[in-house]
Amino acid sequence: MDQILFKHNRPDRVISFDEYCAESGFRALRKALTGMSPEEVQQATIDSGMRGRGGAGFPTGKKWSFVPRDLPGPRYLICNCDEMEPGTYKDRVLLEKNPYLLIEGMALAGYALGVEHAFIFIRRGYELAAENLRRGIVEAERAGFLGRDILNSGFSLSLEVHQSAGRYICGEETALMNALEGRRANPRAKPPFPAVKGLWGQPTVVNNVETLANIPAIIDKGPAWWKSQAATPDAAGTKLFCISGHVSITDCFELPLGMTLGEIIDGPCGGMRNGSNFKACIPGGASTPYFTKEHWNVPMDFDPVAKAGSRLGTGGIVVFDHNTCMVAVTLNLVRFFARESCGWCTPCREGLPLVQHILERIEAGYGEPPDIDILHEHVRHLNHAFCALAPGAMGPVDGLLRHFKDELSEHISGKCCPFRRDTTHTC
Amino acid sequence: MVNLTIDDKQVTAPKTATIYEAAKLNGIAIPILCHDKKLKPFGACRMCLVEVEQMKGRQIPACTTPVTEGMIIRTSTPDIVKARKMVLELLLLNHPIDCPVCDKAGDCDLQNLTYEYKVDANRFTDEKFHHEIDYNNPLIERDMNRCVLCGKCARICDEIVSFGALTFISRGIETKIGCEFDEALNCEFCGSCVSVCPVGSLLARPFKFKARFWSLTKNKSVCGYCGTGCNLTLGVKDNKVLTTLYDENQGFHNGQLCVRGRFGYQFINSDKRLTKPLVRKNGKLEEAGWDEALELVAARLKDAGASTAALATARLTNEELVVFKQLLQTAGCGNYDHSAGYAHAALTEGFAGSFGASASPSTILDIQKSDLLLVIKTDAYETHPVVGFEINMAVKNKGTLLKILTDKSGKLSKLPDARTLVHTPGSEIAIINSLAKVILDNKLVDASAAALPGYAALEKELAAFTPEAVSAQCGLTAVEIKLLASAYATAEKALILFPVGQAYPGHTAALANAVANLALLAGKLGKEGGGVLCLSEKNNSQGAVDMGFQAGIGAGRIIDGCADGSITTLFLAGENPLVSYPDHARVQAALDKVEFLVVSEMFLTETAAMADVVLPVCSFAEKEGTFTATDRRVQHIKPAIRKVGQSRSDFEIFGALIAKLGGVAPGTPASVFAEISATVPGYTGMSYASLGVEGQFAPVELKPAFVMPNAPAVTVEPGKLALVTGSALYHNGTLSQYGEGPMHVCPEGYVEISRADAAASRFAENDLLTVSSAGGSMKLKAHISARMPQGVVFAPYHFGANPVNQVWSGAPVTWITLAK
Repeated sequence: MDQILFKHNRPDRVISFDEYCAESGFRALRKALTGMSPEEVQQATIDSGMRGRGGAGFPTGKKWSFVPRDLPGPRYLICNCDEMEPGTYKDRVLLEKNPYLLIEGMALAGYALGVEHAFIFIRRGYELAAENLRRGIVEAERAGFLGRDILNSGFSLSLEVHQSAGRYICGEETALMNALEGRRANPRAKPPFPAVKGLWGQPTVVNNVETLANIPAIIDKGPAWWKSQAATPDAAGTKLFCISGHVSITDCFELPLGMTLGEIIDGPCGGMRNGSNFKACIPGGASTPYFTKEHWNVPMDFDPVAKAGSRLGTGGIVVFDHNTCMVAVTLNLVRFFARESCGWCTPCREGLPLVQHILERIEAGYGEPPDIDILHEHVRHLNHAFCALAPGAMGPVDGLLRHFKDELSEHISGKCCPFRRDTTHTC
Repeated sequence: MVNLTIDDKQVTAPKTATIYEAAKLNGIAIPILCHDKKLKPFGACRMCLVEVEQMKGRQIPACTTPVTEGMIIRTSTPDIVKARKMVLELLLLNHPIDCPVCDKAGDCDLQNLTYEYKVDANRFTDEKFHHEIDYNNPLIERDMNRCVLCGKCARICDEIVSFGALTFISRGIETKIGCEFDEALNCEFCGSCVSVCPVGSLLARPFKFKARFWSLTKNKSVCGYCGTGCNLTLGVKDNKVLTTLYDENQGFHNGQLCVRGRFGYQFINSDKRLTKPLVRKNGKLEEAGWDEALELVAARLKDAGASTAALATARLTNEELVVFKQLLQTAGCGNYDHSAGYAHAALTEGFAGSFGASASPSTILDIQKSDLLLVIKTDAYETHPVVGFEINMAVKNKGTLLKILTDKSGKLSKLPDARTLVHTPGSEIAIINSLAKVILDNKLVDASAAALPGYAALEKELAAFTPEAVSAQCGLTAVEIKLLASAYATAEKALILFPVGQAYPGHTAALANAVANLALLAGKLGKEGGGVLCLSEKNNSQGAVDMGFQAGIGAGRIIDGCADGSITTLFLAGENPLVSYPDHARVQAALDKVEFLVVSEMFLTETAAMADVVLPVCSFAEKEGTFTATDRRVQHIKPAIRKVGQSRSDFEIFGALIAKLGGVAPGTPASVFAEISATVPGYTGMSYASLGVEGQFAPVELKPAFVMPNAPAVTVEPGKLALVTGSALYHNGTLSQYGEGPMHVCPEGYVEISRADAAASRFAENDLLTVSSAGGSMKLKAHISARMPQGVVFAPYHFGANPVNQVWSGAPVTWITLAK
């Protein structure tokens, strides 16, 4: 397997523009603008089997194909770099090492979509990444890879970095567009979908950093080559997995899509920390239901993970060992989501704090048996929320109810957290 | 149309409908909290969830999801009912459930849905909110503890009112509706937010603890303030109008009202209402019986004969005006008028000459269908706020272009892409002539124009109005005039709006002619969404014109006649010239001089206090008749309450006097309306039945011609400031002084000055300034604002305690000095 995204990385610093160019940087852009039509770029993306790396895993080329080309007025491309899902930090690592892949990827996507103005919506805390991007954009403009009439192709693209005012909900694509327009970051109703009516009412595509950063390789080496970098025939490409938790090595790795969970933990992560035992993990960022030992051999690819009852999400794996209380883990996550709810729709605004309080009660030893039913009901009911935040927030609760029901019952029947019995906490 | 199935019923719905609208059209009710038909879909409350078979049985919001062909929808499966119950349980979790003391009880969507879904216990528990209740203003109470965050208040304030006083603040469970910096509400207090609030979070304070909702009788009526003719629902209990109620299905405005419509009803049951006739005895007004008072008036009218004159308010019903005319004719009086004479001249002289009809060719409904609105003075918003809302919606939702020609900017200027051209006061007629000139010169003239009478003369007369020549005196550049002219001429449908009224002496017949010429030249008449609409001041200004309540020497000379003794008896029906007519001293002298003054009034106004006989009359809420709105919408009103005290309607008073003078008293308002419908052009064939609830437009037949207006020369007095009069936000005439709402928003007169002028003279906000003109001087509080151009000051005219006519003599522009 070749590294695609981390290929150019220098261990201690960001790669320079000249170094990137020397390592065949912007070759894909040159290739596309001199020898390919926008449709061919889009088709290559479709052929590559690329699925969006932001969490939902929607086929990228298909998303592009939804954009109507005959509407009057501009179209927009937005790179979603509002990476705020707990356990996920791949975009930051990528951009702190190399902003040019994204810039080239956006130029290619902009060419495919006929976009003249694109935005990078970046999380407020990602100062270094934003600085790299701003400098990279200036360098690319100077070299003629951005700006007016790029490489004499007639295609023009201006790229703008917008630092978010900062909230988890800004990562939801329609809330992001509201934020970019200077409004309160509430999600918008769909339909109309952004591809038809997005930023300022114009057709808009929102793609993740990692998604866009892969486009140069797809164009440069061809979709078939790119697809074959995966570990299984069904998967396509590589994926940035960011690992945290109770493993020996926590880092962001570029790995072939479709490696099993066990291979990842025992391989690049160096196994569990200090000889502790694997209990569970969040497979793809905070909003995905837990995996347990039974999922050890599940290939980490979109469909197999979904089949196993969770989601690959962003590829942010958080590993828990046998000493971890899963009620406490879930409470921690739900607390985050309840805080980050935009407050727009009833189920999310009112339901998440309620779930939080119930979990707090259970963790503190005051839970009642009917609480489990209420949690079940909320897992179902929060699917009716306005956007994906609330259903996502229920991912860990769903996992808790499916895989750790006994642990939950133990909290209630024992009237305390079993993992705190031997600590200072008295029940 | 698309075909779909809702709850096993085959139905059709328009392509653009949402599932909620399609269901409603077909008589299927889907519960809602955050949806309002006037506002953009929101989808937040999740009460309207339905299942759509094609969407994998997912529950989706009916209010935001558009229908598609073949959709199969279920609106109340057990799962949906369960989900809705859950939403209610969650909403009630933090809600105080203080229904016993909540004014909204009985009319509360949350309460009604809780009842409907039988949520009799909450399986969840949580802490209640402890938000501080906003009691900082006397009109709107904000209790965010009861809020369900449907956002309707914030949305209506933004989408329709365009003020933006409210918004969501914070997030998650701490989300609440708040004002700037989470401070107290400080806005125009139109109460739109109150009207749409589905719970008791926003309440009308004047109504607080007055009555339970279910004990109110709901009576439909028509607002008695301005010429917009908004429909009202009055909440009545114990013969008192206690509130106005919101009915989203009422009128073209969908129940939307301004502060005086919503919070200005208190004059109806005011303690200050006159309840018995008053007769002057030994120099003092004393209570008297009706017989005595009417006998006295009848005897006097008989004696005075032709030396009698009369002035009426345009708030009387059409029937009352007709009967008043009959009384005056019976008494041999040939001089009567209304609205100070000049306030209706744009219609009676202007449009009569230009259009061959004393009425506007366009209606309020044209505003939202127009491509370009040319608004003369931003005061359209202040004088007719609900028309202002229509303008807001046209500009914000339909992308209508807005051009404003004004002597000061205003709220309309803040709308997206609004172009405000601020000109020298008094130069509007010259500018409009110049616009017409540009249209002529640039060959933008419509093909229909050349054939109209007066075209050749107009072409000749307009020669002097080149943009270059006009720009020298009007404060606009020639380029600005040319751009405006071409924008206006090239718009497919363009509508011109201008207010008239007693405070707008510059909005004369000449302005109406100039505007009409422009519209005729550019061929804007006769198209839906195009034309000209004159916004008349009072609720029945157009009716008074249609009824022909004008004969003889005119209002101005009637006042002069009183002063010089040629008029010995003056009958004022609801008119308050001491406050609302120009030149206080002149009116005072005239009323002092006139031998006999009869005033029929609801209140002992400044004018009534000078009368020999005061006849107490009832308000619009106590009588029957018809009003004609500014766009000639004839509307029927019925009594909502019995007459207060011994007051009588003007109709009864005039009838009794006719009888006493030996004439034949009219029968009922209905019989008089039948007479009107037989004789008044445009009203032909109308009956109470045909008027229905929303009224009927009296068609306007046009015989267009070009009439060259006289553009008054723009004068400038160096070293002085130009005072322009007008309507204060949400006041109307002098009646609004008896309404709590308007008096809270604007309790007293003021003089509004630019920042530059204030800085130059070191005036501060609320400084008491001496305003001096050639006509006199008075003291007014300074109000410094960004909207006034340098050298121009504005003063509203409504306030009897300190009327602006002490310095204003009826000129469009009064030259004044200010001193501390």
